[in-house]
Amino acid sequence: MSSSKSWPKRASPEAYPAVFAAPGRWLNQKLNAWLKRRGPVHPPLRLAYRQIFILPTRFGWILGLIAFAMLMGSLNFNNNLGLFTTFLVAGIALLSLHIAYRNLEGLSIRGCNADSVFSGNDLTLTVQLADGSHRLRSGIRLGGAAGEAQADVTDLQADQDGQLSLTIPTAQRGWLKVGRLRLSTRHPLGLFEAWSVFWPEQSFLIWPQPADQAPPLPVSASQRESEQPGDEGDEFHGLRDWREGDPIHRIAWKASQRHQDLLARQFSRPAQDELMLNLEQAPGLTREQRISVVTRWLLDADRSGARFGLDLGSVRIAPDSGAKHRTRCLNALAELP
Amino acid sequence: MITNWLQRSRKSSSTSHAPSKPTVTITVIAFLFAASPHLLAMPIWLAISILLAGLWRIATAWLNWRPPHWSIRIVLTFAALAMVVVAYGTLWGRRAATALLCVMMAAKLMEMFKMRDARQIAALSFFLVGAQFLFGQQLGLFAYLLIACWLATSAMVYIQRDEDRPDSVIDADTQAATAVRSSGSIMSGRARELKSGLMLMLLAIPFALVLFALFPRLASPLWGLPEDALDGRTGLSEEMSPGSIASLFADDSPAFRVQFDGTRPSQQDLYWRGPVLWRFDGNTWRRLFFSNRDPERMPPRENPALQYTVQLEPNERRWMFTLDYPVAWTQEARLTADFQLIRQRPVTRLISYDVASQPDFVDSPELMHTLRQVALNLPEDQNPRTRARAAEFRQQYPDDRELINAVLRWFNEDAFFYSLETAPLGWHGADEFLFDLKTGYCEYYASAFAILMRAAGIPARIVTGYQGGFWQQSSEYLLVRQSDAHAWVEVWLPDTGWTRIDPTAAVSPSRIIENARSALNERLGWFESAWAMRLRNEYDRLQHYWNQWVLGFNAGRQQQFLSRLGLGEISTPMMALLIAVMAIITIAPIAFLLRGLGQGRLRITPAERAWRRISRRMKKNQLKPYAGETALEFAHRSSIHLDNGNELIEAARLFYVLHYAPAQAGHEHRLAELQKSAKIWRPKWNSAKTNSLQPLETI
Repeated sequence: MSSSKSWPKRASPEAYPAVFAAPGRWLNQKLNAWLKRRGPVHPPLRLAYRQIFILPTRFGWILGLIAFAMLMGSLNFNNNLGLFTTFLVAGIALLSLHIAYRNLEGLSIRGCNADSVFSGNDLTLTVQLADGSHRLRSGIRLGGAAGEAQADVTDLQADQDGQLSLTIPTAQRGWLKVGRLRLSTRHPLGLFEAWSVFWPEQSFLIWPQPADQAPPLPVSASQRESEQPGDEGDEFHGLRDWREGDPIHRIAWKASQRHQDLLARQFSRPAQDELMLNLEQAPGLTREQRISVVTRWLLDADRSGARFGLDLGSVRIAPDSGAKHRTRCLNALAELP
Repeated sequence: MITNWLQRSRKSSSTSHAPSKPTVTITVIAFLFAASPHLLAMPIWLAISILLAGLWRIATAWLNWRPPHWSIRIVLTFAALAMVVVAYGTLWGRRAATALLCVMMAAKLMEMFKMRDARQIAALSFFLVGAQFLFGQQLGLFAYLLIACWLATSAMVYIQRDEDRPDSVIDADTQAATAVRSSGSIMSGRARELKSGLMLMLLAIPFALVLFALFPRLASPLWGLPEDALDGRTGLSEEMSPGSIASLFADDSPAFRVQFDGTRPSQQDLYWRGPVLWRFDGNTWRRLFFSNRDPERMPPRENPALQYTVQLEPNERRWMFTLDYPVAWTQEARLTADFQLIRQRPVTRLISYDVASQPDFVDSPELMHTLRQVALNLPEDQNPRTRARAAEFRQQYPDDRELINAVLRWFNEDAFFYSLETAPLGWHGADEFLFDLKTGYCEYYASAFAILMRAAGIPARIVTGYQGGFWQQSSEYLLVRQSDAHAWVEVWLPDTGWTRIDPTAAVSPSRIIENARSALNERLGWFESAWAMRLRNEYDRLQHYWNQWVLGFNAGRQQQFLSRLGLGEISTPMMALLIAVMAIITIAPIAFLLRGLGQGRLRITPAERAWRRISRRMKKNQLKPYAGETALEFAHRSSIHLDNGNELIEAARLFYVLHYAPAQAGHEHRLAELQKSAKIWRPKWNSAKTNSLQPLETI
């Protein structure tokens, strides 16, 4: 759970110091603060020796153990070739440590970006990298703080750009602050892992999760509101009593013959659903459920090509259509307090 | 939310990477190569099983066979264990332990379907290499060390590359796809990993050498050495029965090397004294327990005639070979009453000792009665003809010395032959040899002569050791091989004490003047022809230096080395600091040599190099390309100041075509032209250059 630090958190209600309440979390907090004190941690940044850490991997420890056994045996029997072998292994390991460090040193992290996703889906975070030291960088791996399992690996050619992506699961709409990320390498022998941590400075907007089951779009209710009188070019809608001010040529003379009063022809725009969505229309126990339903409506409306608007009280978005509009609406829903 | 993430990552980590075909191949090869000397020492069927396991694993990778079921693996693992127990009768002891390790690693191959397993095989390969040196440290094994370390390092590079390949997730279908992609690439693209492994290893050598020289050695071992270290490769045994020395004649390996300070004795005097045998039971000569006391009389220590250093190869025996009679020596050893130099512990690794000898000395002018009894003792019921002959001699020659000469004359003049091809002897061994066979080698002659002497009433004992040796030209040392093993007789005479008599020399003087080989008068195979012998002697010279500087580098010699550097009195923390500094010095510059590991600078094409040469010539007049200025723009700008600006523009055009156009016909020609102008073209500045340079740039 060490990664919990990176997620939006509520102030802990505990009265006593955090170190006793949740020692792991407290430690992690201290660690993060220390890391941030050491040097720049937000991209764009160029990795220098203060930001690079290096430790043996599990395999590194195993080889170390084997080398130690060889050392003791060779020393005991004064076996000079055995000693030489041991020192050669040690030298190779030391070199690989050096190379692992150099593999990260001077690497530039240009920045991070991600496209918004619906809550519950994976956010694909892309980290832009660049080499500025004329070095080929092999086996650069990006992982979250939790573990490197879902890590993405790439080789970066000398003086070239590259990118790595990381999928982050989401569970909550709103601004997602991505926590500590980790750029690591075990090149060339897997004996040592050099790594650097960084925090993307920006947050990423997560859209609300669309409800699985939602009532059909509230067409009738909204149609009234969205009805607009048309003119002759539009479709014939019906007849009504002629009123003062109606153009003369709209009088339906033939129909008026059968009536006492003059009737005027009425036109309307083709039955284009123009919706104004709001939270009150949506069924649901909680606010989040209602937001979820509205999101589903919004998507359905968008798919059917309808014009829709959004009325969220604080925010009101006039009816429109298109991808840009859709994004704007989704963003507004996501940002709802 | 976070638990969600964790679960997911756990799930994805279960789909671990599988080593690719080239990786499996190189890992198995690294293992088999590291195990090869162990395999050669194993029972053949065990070695073949291990070899088959390796080949099977490679075939599995290339033919996409399934991993064996776990039950099969368990059964095979226990079968392997049983094989070692059957082969060695134990799991204890060095040979059995390494065989067990090899067998277990071979069993591990069967589950080497994960990166982790492949890594363990690679890491343990280093251990196998180190373990091999417990059995021998000859010069030739250094090549084995380097190659094996190279292969194991390369295997580790391969494994890491596999792990860093994003598409190496093991799925039934993706595995096949990966397999197709990586197949056949072992020779082309994958040779890079082999090169990386080689670079890593070569660059680690300076560091290893520094550590080798500076790392503190133990003056005494922490625990003892098991006794089976040398696979029965032993020197002279402590008893002599027919055939015991003959087994050494075929062994051309070095027994020891000697460096003389000052006088070199002549070839006939090179009798390297080993075990002295007194007791004879009719078949076998044995040592006498009673001689394990100090000598009654020591030769004078002052001004010893011979001073020399012996470098003794491991032989699992305790003898230290010296010339008669040792007076001073440097190893912890004890001198017995019959002047054998004996160590506390068997010689299980190369040792070196200095000895001073005094050949001018009378050993035991008085012979104790009990010793005399032992030196005259013969089984009663054996060799009647020899006894009769001895009695005859005694009657004829009452004087001991005359009798001995007569016997030697007999050996010389009668039809006695020196040959390795002879018949085994029966109950009356001396009789058969002296009167029927008349053919044999030193052992036969020494034994028969001693029996004859004892029968004639002259105290006699047999000394075994080595005789002669090969003088390495120009490098001043004497190489004594196992095949120089010899046996001779010492008789006790009242005026000269124990006196050396070599009956073999009477029969075949060349055995003594040259060596056993020339005495044998046999047709020599190519391997033993003169030039091959010379080659082997040259190799032994390398081996000698190897022994002297690499294997003999112990705590004492390290101290000498350090004091020669002025570091004799260095304290432990200072030494640690020195090692750290030297490590940094040897490792740090390596960063600049890492090109082979793909960490180097961008590769510059020949066209670029040529163009840079040209454009650099403009620098003299402060003309250099601006940031973002193309080569052609630069050429145009510069040409204003030049009388031969057209040539510069032409060169820039050539460079454009070479650098940016796809490869096409005429490229070689263009490149040659560009390179030619890079060589000969010089800017010819026009007259207006000095005052027009600055303003022109602003125009």
